[in-house]
Amino acid sequence: MASNNSLLSIKGLEKSYGSVVALKNANFEVSPGEIHALLGANGAGKSTLVKILTGVITSNNGTISLNGKQLTFSSPDDARKNGVAPVFQDPALIPDISIQRNLTLTSTNEARFVSELALMGLKVNLNEIAANIELPLLRMIDLARALSHDPELLILDEITAALPIDLAEKVITVMNNQKAKGKSVIFISHRLAEIEEICDRATVLRDGINVDTFEASQGSEERIVQAMLGEKNKRNSNEARTSRSSLSSQTLLEIKSISGGKHLKDLSFTIKKGEVLGVAALEGQGQDLLFEILAGESNPESGEILVNGKIVTFSHPSDAINLGISYVPGDRKSALMPQRSIRENLALTRFRGISKWGVINSKDEEVRVDDAVSSLQIDTRAKSQVKRLSGGNQQKVTIGRWVTTGFDLLLCFDPTRGIDVGTKQQIYELVREFADQGKSVLLFTSELREIQLACDRAIVIYEGRVQADLPIEKCDEENLLNAAHGIAVAK
Amino acid sequence: MNLIQLKRQSWNLAIIVLALVLGAWRISQLPQFGAYEARTFVLGILPIALLSMGQALIIIGGGINLAIGAEAVLINCLSAKYMLDTSFSKSLMLAVVFIIVGVLIGALTGWIISVSGIADIVVTLATSFLLVGVAMYVMPQPGGGINQTLADLISGKVPNFIPPLICLILPILLIWIPLYRSKLGISMYAIGSNKDAAFLSGVNVNLTRIKLYAFGGLFAALSGLALTGITLSSSPFANISNTATLNSVAGAVLGGVALSGGVGGLIGPALAALILYFIPTILLAYGIDPAYSQIITGALTIVVVLLGGLLRKRTAGKK
Repeated sequence: MASNNSLLSIKGLEKSYGSVVALKNANFEVSPGEIHALLGANGAGKSTLVKILTGVITSNNGTISLNGKQLTFSSPDDARKNGVAPVFQDPALIPDISIQRNLTLTSTNEARFVSELALMGLKVNLNEIAANIELPLLRMIDLARALSHDPELLILDEITAALPIDLAEKVITVMNNQKAKGKSVIFISHRLAEIEEICDRATVLRDGINVDTFEASQGSEERIVQAMLGEKNKRNSNEARTSRSSLSSQTLLEIKSISGGKHLKDLSFTIKKGEVLGVAALEGQGQDLLFEILAGESNPESGEILVNGKIVTFSHPSDAINLGISYVPGDRKSALMPQRSIRENLALTRFRGISKWGVINSKDEEVRVDDAVSSLQIDTRAKSQVKRLSGGNQQKVTIGRWVTTGFDLLLCFDPTRGIDVGTKQQIYELVREFADQGKSVLLFTSELREIQLACDRAIVIYEGRVQADLPIEKCDEENLLNAAHGIAVAK
Repeated sequence: MNLIQLKRQSWNLAIIVLALVLGAWRISQLPQFGAYEARTFVLGILPIALLSMGQALIIIGGGINLAIGAEAVLINCLSAKYMLDTSFSKSLMLAVVFIIVGVLIGALTGWIISVSGIADIVVTLATSFLLVGVAMYVMPQPGGGINQTLADLISGKVPNFIPPLICLILPILLIWIPLYRSKLGISMYAIGSNKDAAFLSGVNVNLTRIKLYAFGGLFAALSGLALTGITLSSSPFANISNTATLNSVAGAVLGGVALSGGVGGLIGPALAALILYFIPTILLAYGIDPAYSQIITGALTIVVVLLGGLLRKRTAGKK
């Protein structure tokens, strides 16, 4: 496509942080009225490209042209004024002030914002403090705010990750509306199905270079994965699993009609030893609380938890850990010590292995940590500070610490949220390895297709109860979605 | 006022109730209560209330200024030295000059923090030593003075309590309320609440911080001038500046400002100064050792902040 009729044209963009090269010679074009997917594994340079495009950072080299005019954005405000509006996975709203004051801060027209929100079928009390609003709605508010500025180019960075289906559909409608108005959208997502469905073209980045640009259509998935991973790392295409005949009959955990909070009502299920149990649910069905209860963070209002047939109560997460129940929370940031090294992060929970006098056997620790690093294939280039790792590697650290500690049941809450296809694949494999070692995993995921890739069985929670308990053969996306909406599924 | 706003004001309401209870208690100890006693109350809190308000602004913006007391002491010394035996107009002119000096010291502090990237607490600890040193250089001994007409304008002729009350309320009306409604006001909450989100929302983080420290300096200068107007002299002592700084933090926190930034206002800290004033005076009237009264003030601060923290946790729900 000729650059003179493109809306955005990026040529030879370079950016390095010290000795780490994030972008080397990235080229990228967006036409008017186009929805363009930007793809790449974690660390491929997507985030850096978006940050440069939105004025958060400046590039070392290369040019950005908008409508044929060469520009550099000095700040996010500057980018916004030039018609580039981003919406990030973490909403850029100030938590401690009201939505109204957030709008004033960004010089957003209030009436326009309300009508954009109304077009999505949503409403919000403008006096509400942003911190009191749940994350999915907050993202939609951020989106409506961006739309109020009538951007030529809307950049959606992982906005649909962990978004409930109804809201994700609204985002897609917004993108199509923008397109109909002749405006363009850059869409970043790890959900390949979405990309095939709605994007016109896709550009894949790898190691800071654009490796492929093509028309997105049905069946592009394979090409995308291939481009992302490169020839060398080509993996087998994902295959759905089938039931294992070898599954042990011993029950590890039994939940008997627990209730609590606004959502959980009379929820019961069991997990066998060596079983990976998937959990599917729309946003806000009580799944967050369920995981917190099992991790010893909260207590149920009623009901029983049985571990190995014995009733247990947790007054502190350490009670759960001591019983072999480990929790990988959905928000990586809440699990990690960002300023500390990979080693310290991995060894943090290993208090069971420490000697009686509290002296840490550093040799033993080193061996265990090295084991975890190699078995999880953690990228250790930035090992001195976990905050400098990519999202996928951070997630591996949160899981890896339980590998060093040891566990019987791993609670994983949306562990693949916002991480690349390759790392996702590694996480599925890891979960399977755990199962083969006779360990159990409870896996909640907002991406329904993952269930058939990693689990042995799945439960679907709807309105705080188990709506369906499905063998893996029945866990296709359609069945899960139906059950998640409260529709009965034939066994 | 809707429910959300009411909830947000609940801290201020609680502080008002506490201040009223303590005030009634204090009044019951006095043989009589009239204009003279009211004036004593207002004079007792004016300098520290102004200082707490300045500190509150900076804390809301995610910082803290450990030099704010030193700044007030410096302005106190400067004004007492140069305003001694001057005409009203000259004293007034000097007051304006010293307010500007206070603003500039604040802005410079904010600039150093922004440019160096060093934590607020480190930079301002250093500047606090520096400013007290300068104050002791300006006024090696207590002394100095101020034009009596200007002093009366600040502290009121006995028993007139209206002028100091105006000095307390005017900064709220003329500085705080316009500031709160301005874009700078929102930016202040923004950088204190979440710096990254503020930056993405188009806020110039460094410039906002410099402006906030400048406003803090303005309040410190007002506090220093109030001190001169009330005591008619200067007190170039490091321990006064330290106590004032710590009281300003206590006032801000008692007044509902979260040390983590992004939460609170200035009316709470102004009212909290009343509480910090009443407790020791009430206890003193019972003949209780000042050491005990320190303990009680400290314990009460902990209890109030603790209760506030629990309250906030409950209303915010489990996250």
